[in-house]
Amino acid sequence: MNIPSLTFLDFQPVLPALLLAVGGIVLLLTEVFQSAATINRAYQSMVALAFSAVAGAVAAATTLEPAREVFLGFGVSDPFSGAVTVLVCVGLGLSVLVSAGFLRHRNAERGEFYALLLFAGAGMSLLAMSNEFITLFINLEVMSVSTYALSAWLRRGTRPSEAGFKYFILGAFSAAILVYGASLLYGATGTTKLSELAGLLPAAVASNPGLTYLGAGLVAVGLAFKVAAVPFHMWTPDVYEGAPTPVSALMSAGVKATAFASLVRVFLPFAQDLGPNHAQLMTYAFAALALLTMVVGNLMALPQRNVKRMLAYSSVAHAGYLLLGVAALFARPTGGEGPLAVTPLLAGAEGAARQQTLQAILFYLLAYTVTSLGSFGALAALERREDEPRGTAWDLEKFAGLSQRKPGWALAMAAMMLSLGGIPPTVGFMGKLFIFRAAVDAGLVWLAVAGVLASAAGVYYYLRVVVYMYMRPSQDGVTVPERQWTTELALVLSTAAVVLLGVAPGTLSAWLGKASVLFSQ
Amino acid sequence: MSVENVLFWVFALGIVSSAFLVILARNPVHSAMALVGAFFFLAAEYVLLWAHTIAVLQVLVYAGAIMVLFLFVIMLLSLTDADLQPGQVTLARVVGGASAAGLCLVMVETLSKTKGAGQVIAGEQTQVFGTLAEMGRVIYTQYLFPFEAVSLLLLVAIVGAVVVAKARI
Repeated sequence: MNIPSLTFLDFQPVLPALLLAVGGIVLLLTEVFQSAATINRAYQSMVALAFSAVAGAVAAATTLEPAREVFLGFGVSDPFSGAVTVLVCVGLGLSVLVSAGFLRHRNAERGEFYALLLFAGAGMSLLAMSNEFITLFINLEVMSVSTYALSAWLRRGTRPSEAGFKYFILGAFSAAILVYGASLLYGATGTTKLSELAGLLPAAVASNPGLTYLGAGLVAVGLAFKVAAVPFHMWTPDVYEGAPTPVSALMSAGVKATAFASLVRVFLPFAQDLGPNHAQLMTYAFAALALLTMVVGNLMALPQRNVKRMLAYSSVAHAGYLLLGVAALFARPTGGEGPLAVTPLLAGAEGAARQQTLQAILFYLLAYTVTSLGSFGALAALERREDEPRGTAWDLEKFAGLSQRKPGWALAMAAMMLSLGGIPPTVGFMGKLFIFRAAVDAGLVWLAVAGVLASAAGVYYYLRVVVYMYMRPSQDGVTVPERQWTTELALVLSTAAVVLLGVAPGTLSAWLGKASVLFSQ
Repeated sequence: MSVENVLFWVFALGIVSSAFLVILARNPVHSAMALVGAFFFLAAEYVLLWAHTIAVLQVLVYAGAIMVLFLFVIMLLSLTDADLQPGQVTLARVVGGASAAGLCLVMVETLSKTKGAGQVIAGEQTQVFGTLAEMGRVIYTQYLFPFEAVSLLLLVAIVGAVVVAKARI
């Protein structure tokens, strides 16, 4: 039998994930030499930060390379996967910075925490590259299992165990649904590789419509759990609230971004190769999901006085805006004729429009990553661990008069809230602008209008935090936790990113435009 | 009738009879042991189908690890004689029994309609399919990427389990 050969070129795109995994192992091994009495583990966050920075830089280099298949089609290395990995590394770096102060304050800083963070990042990076269902499932699990363990990291009161357990059960359930869907698709087409699936789908739909639709639907449900789309969002508020704040931040940014990446990668062939009827069907399906997610997410966030829960629901709402982008991506009628046409996916006028939509999604993901990390970071800076078991650590009252006590923190939090609400001159505004424009260009005007209305409702609860910080007097006897330079660095970095990218998004957006290339056959 | 066919029927009878023992035995430990027997016979059938890898995994994972877990659970429950009396006919049991019977019917119907299902009994496969050598070749070449990802997954699972099992951090 002929043995397929793998060359160095196959392994090169995995380098960022490999770096993250090596960083995790280094942290695990050095933790062995620390005793329980060791208080100062400052080196750990720096090691984790360095590894994520290097991995991000390496991934940024891969976005400039042409798209190609690696590992015999089990993975792809394309600019899109590179950009998602960069995004994950940005999220990881900020999350590590926030974690350092957060954990030190609770005397819970251990090598395993950062190791699990880096492993989760490696899983995300690999997931963005996965082009085959088995690979996709395994990498999804690498990412998920790390976050299950991380969400139960602190044992203060019942909330963390509730969060970990709930996330684990529902996450395992959704992964099982995804695998079931993938196995049905395998039954219908005889392949698990996405690149081959594209060519085999039309025949499969003709001969086995039930199996194909059910399989695709179940895969979509499995991924919708991960991105927390309504009605699969039930776990989100409890898990985000119970998990350590830096971990909630990474969940809302990294997990969501990579789940969206695989959603696009799995379902673009469906929209592209099954003809206009199916593309329209999928557009409607995802548009309905987007509408529901935007409306429910924003309405549920309205009455929340617990800021952490409010951010959780806001993360659901933002998944809705991203789904709007995904629906716009599928709304594009197919350009090339024939399922196996060897034309680049993104060629021609339609291709350019698709690339623009993908660019809008990537920009929104990046905007949401920095904003979400910043807002959870400000929350983490303000949290006092004595309040956590009673669940009052995140009450709106804690923000009252923050502008007098901590003007810097208040300014950062205000920038984040404006960005989440989509008010200029912040990156959140630009992200919403791009994604709504893509939706309007794709003919989904009604959905874009619904999105704008939903985000207008969102402005109320985001601005309420700002009002509390700047217009309410401080409560008596409120103490603020000590300053941690790492947390403050994360706040400065994310605030700078939010404002600068909001004022001048050109360079980044041009780079993301180049990176919006998916591999296709 | 070839040797393979004779062996197939011997093992098939073994599977069915030990499966009946599993549900008919009064003592749960006896049931568990009968299940181990069923797993062994099933492993033997896999060998006849040239699926050596699955046969080995069947014995190692199911007959070994999972059954030990079963036995532990049975012992931890420390059932009394009163618990082991046959229970009443409840709705759940009726529905469960009916769906099992329905599934059985569907399987028989499907298999009888499948072309050539009778021929694929024993020794008919290409004789490398599913052997350890063949599986190893596929795993370490074609499926290298997911295989290596599994090693990362196992590492994460071990670290995560230790972290979650810690009393306090």
